[in-house]
Amino acid sequence: MILLLPLLIALLGAFLVLGFRKPQVATRVALLIGGLEIVSLMAVVRQVHEHGPMQVGRYLRVDGLSSFFLINIAFISGLVLVYASGYMRHPGEGRFSSPRWFYALVFLFLFTMISVCLSANLGLLWIMMEGTTLASALLVGFYNTKGAVEAGWKYLMVCTVGIAFALFGTIVLYLAAVKAGMNPETALDWASLMEAVPRMGFDPHLVKLAFVFVIVGYGTKIGFVPMHSWLPDAHAEAPTPVSALLSAVLLNCAMYAVMRYDAIVSHAVGTAFPHTLLLMFGVMSMVVAGLLILVQRNLKRLMAYSSVEHMGIIAIGLGLGGPLGLFGALLHIFNHSVGKSLLFFTAGKVRESFGTLRMDGVSGMARSLPKTSVALVVGSLAIVGLPPFSLFVSEFAILSEAFSQARYTVAVLFLLVLSVVFGGFTYHLLRMLGGEDSKNAPAHSELLPSEYSVMGIAGVCLLFFGVRIPNIFTAIIREAMAVVR
Amino acid sequence: MGLVAIATGKILSSFSVFLFLTILLLVVSRRFSTSVLLFGVQSAIIAAEAFATGFRERLAAAYVVGALIVIIKVVVIPRAFFGLAKHLKTSSDMKASTTPTQSVFIAAAMIYLSYAAVQSYGLSVHVPDDALAAPVALILTGAFLMVSRNKALMQMLGLLVLENGIFLAALTTTFGMPLVIEIGVFFDVLIGLLLMGVFAFRIRDTFDHLDVSKLRRLRG
Repeated sequence: MILLLPLLIALLGAFLVLGFRKPQVATRVALLIGGLEIVSLMAVVRQVHEHGPMQVGRYLRVDGLSSFFLINIAFISGLVLVYASGYMRHPGEGRFSSPRWFYALVFLFLFTMISVCLSANLGLLWIMMEGTTLASALLVGFYNTKGAVEAGWKYLMVCTVGIAFALFGTIVLYLAAVKAGMNPETALDWASLMEAVPRMGFDPHLVKLAFVFVIVGYGTKIGFVPMHSWLPDAHAEAPTPVSALLSAVLLNCAMYAVMRYDAIVSHAVGTAFPHTLLLMFGVMSMVVAGLLILVQRNLKRLMAYSSVEHMGIIAIGLGLGGPLGLFGALLHIFNHSVGKSLLFFTAGKVRESFGTLRMDGVSGMARSLPKTSVALVVGSLAIVGLPPFSLFVSEFAILSEAFSQARYTVAVLFLLVLSVVFGGFTYHLLRMLGGEDSKNAPAHSELLPSEYSVMGIAGVCLLFFGVRIPNIFTAIIREAMAVVR
Repeated sequence: MGLVAIATGKILSSFSVFLFLTILLLVVSRRFSTSVLLFGVQSAIIAAEAFATGFRERLAAAYVVGALIVIIKVVVIPRAFFGLAKHLKTSSDMKASTTPTQSVFIAAAMIYLSYAAVQSYGLSVHVPDDALAAPVALILTGAFLMVSRNKALMQMLGLLVLENGIFLAALTTTFGMPLVIEIGVFFDVLIGLLLMGVFAFRIRDTFDHLDVSKLRRLRG
């Protein structure tokens, strides 16, 4: 029963919040629903931590891996909802751009993402993954400007086609399972698949074919190069809270799907094939995104390419496997979410104050917006992987795994890209922070309480996890690793 | 042997040929309405195949799926497309970036390619090559229509053809996935089309045209 609560709260909340026309009331109701949502998610996580995997009916199941991703969803969605309460003060024109529509779509989006993590069935997982695209497409096009409409259309088309390939992969895996003698009714349940795969002889050709289609399909949503074309547009044109949700929650949900398939396929045909594919996509995404970061002009597009780069890092961690690689990848998923949300929050503030996201239109920011600048610097230092911030720890874990497996090409490329990205971020940052006051300098609009509290929480979390990872968090990551290995 | 059984056998042995025919006609059709009609015909063929499979394998679920295809893909979606085209007042020319001759050659090459691609799998899944090549060819055609046609509506149609191919692949190889999942997939397709319709209106209102190839503001 407890498993149904987060789903019901998000779904009913989406319709409930539509009933409140006054922006302030809608915001308060949304915060209340968000609070309930987080409590219910944490209850599920606690239950799994204490009593192990749970299943409700045939279609819902949660285990260590899903519960790790639920923590991520709960934490980031909490930050985003609080941030949005300040951000949505100036709603746009048009019938559907009021806060109540915004919150309703956000809750629908959350509902689909939580469902992805709770699905016991790979078919349902696909349906919900397509649901995330549908729920967020209107959020990407929320502002209804030329750029937003174009980005929304591109997002919808690219992701729908990409995910169609994942459906094909799902069907091929189903075919392999049915042919190996599994009952067609349970041949898509990942728990039964994990249990049946080592026992029954699955046709290795079909399983490999399935994984190729799945990694291309869900990889489109992760933003792997070369399927990443929708990602910078969608991140840059969406309202800032939505950019943070896309980057810090949606991409991870797609990564979760790939991890499920990776575990099944590794059991069936060994780890060599799926892990090589993950490494290939990881290195490619990291290198291409790292280079593109240098030439960006728009602050949010810079963040978006940095997300592609970090998804590459996570894929490399998963592809290396091993205790440190997997631990680093999972830890990096969480750390990147926190760091990237912080950066998007500051980017939203920059747009609000300077009226532009073009980085050459922003200068002298350190003087005019001191607090936002501190947040931007902290976020950037964390995201490029400097100690003492948490991303350093996870990147270091992945890198040591690469060295201990004597994969020197991967390790050297990894280090090279990290230094290029460090250079790129420093270059862009120094130009924005220093220099003359720009023409469109803000009239001292400093942070609202809601804004600096979420930025503060994210910053402290980045620092704290860099110094010491809480025991309970390590335990939960270990439970997640136990599922995959 | 009853008439139904004979008809079933004929449908199952010849549906690939008819699907290849719709593919070749789709890539040369110049008018949007013709393309939509061809899509309807193609869906009807797939529905017939679903009914035939249901009859031969004694699967009640396949009949349900067949009925869903008839309702959604043969009736509702083509009607919605005609309605959309009328409301958007789009011209019937769909701005193909390849000439009909080129398109036919490309389609022929794709059909050949799909036969080559499925050759090594035909034996292992006990399905004739024709039945495996047809879905792959549909997927390729759908992708081809999406990249070679510039109008937003035609890209939506390409996506549907691609989806038809994936659906057919599930039907021929595994007699379809569990019914609940199939219904969920249908639901997603419908919502997806609805949203694309919404975006088509927004594109028309903000850009005054539906030529997606001219949306080039976001780059780099």
